[in-house]
Amino acid sequence: MAVPQLVLDAIRFLLALAAPAALVALVLAGIALRREGTTSFSVGGGGFSKWMFWTIVMITLPQVFGWFAFWGVGSPLPGGGIGNGWMSGFANDAVIFVNTFVIGRLVPVLAAWMVLRSVIDWSEGYTPLASILGAMFLLAIPASAALLQGWNDGTRFGTAAVLEGAWTYTASRIMPIAAGLAVIGAVVNFAFGRPAIRLIGSAAAFLTVSALWRLVVSMM
Amino acid sequence: MNFLTGITNLTSWMGNVIMPTLAALFFALGVLRYAHGQAHTYAPWAGFLCLMVSGVLRGIEKFAAQAAWNNPDLVWITMRGMVNWTCNVFLPVYAVLQLLQGFMLYAGIGHRMYAGGAWMRHFGAAAMCLALSGVLRLAEWFIAQGLGGIS
Repeated sequence: MAVPQLVLDAIRFLLALAAPAALVALVLAGIALRREGTTSFSVGGGGFSKWMFWTIVMITLPQVFGWFAFWGVGSPLPGGGIGNGWMSGFANDAVIFVNTFVIGRLVPVLAAWMVLRSVIDWSEGYTPLASILGAMFLLAIPASAALLQGWNDGTRFGTAAVLEGAWTYTASRIMPIAAGLAVIGAVVNFAFGRPAIRLIGSAAAFLTVSALWRLVVSMM
Repeated sequence: MNFLTGITNLTSWMGNVIMPTLAALFFALGVLRYAHGQAHTYAPWAGFLCLMVSGVLRGIEKFAAQAAWNNPDLVWITMRGMVNWTCNVFLPVYAVLQLLQGFMLYAGIGHRMYAGGAWMRHFGAAAMCLALSGVLRLAEWFIAQGLGGIS
């Protein structure tokens, strides 16, 4: 029995919403990065990790369906455009809304508010870094989405491939820069009589995080 | 705009622009605390460290680059390098400073030479206030001598 056109259109409609949903999840990840600061990277526990995970799932949604075919459940994704007029219109409107309003206008304003918040954070005695990094993350959402998409290998392992790519990128590109920030933090802490050695150790650990992973693997 | 470029520029700006500027502030703070007879040695050290942010990072990078990135022993090798450097490079230099301080105390410089009188300290503080730019340039000169890095 042929699949009803309405069901096929509904599938195409939901798949079309995955890309804007991924961008919205990235916005929520940026907000969580600002709110949670250093706890953002707690695996499974932080809002940042959660929203990044859902971003990756949304980006690799077509590949996730590949598992059903592997299990022998026939679930070919319908190709082509959405036949139903209002569904097609709604999907296009959602994409335009997210790209032009959320990403184009709302996110830069949100980032600007975070920069303002960083000044207030500092005046209240907190580190301004969480707000600054949150603002940078928000401003970089289109590039980050493209980066995540680039790690998608197009197979049913796409979600894991993107997560692997994200880990490698974080460990090899972001962490060496974070080491520089840790050294600056150590100097500032020393100047104000706060513990500094921990941050120097952190800088060394940031630079050797890949080796630390290999060390853990070799211990198993 | 991407996140890596942003965080790289932020780090570079803080390490190479803001911290060296703050170095002057810490030297000034050191002079002010010295003038009031308060603990002041940490302030010039902080000033030196502000000038050495890039150098400290390059040093740690050097320790972390003594083996391949995927060598499980790299964590230990990095720690060993830091411990070696602390014990065999930093502590001997610190020993010289301590010897110098010991000789100065033995000679009475710092207490017997102006015992009971803060007038000399104030004259010294005034001289340093007027020569702060020179002190900062001297500190920068010392840092510049170490641009070759750790061999």
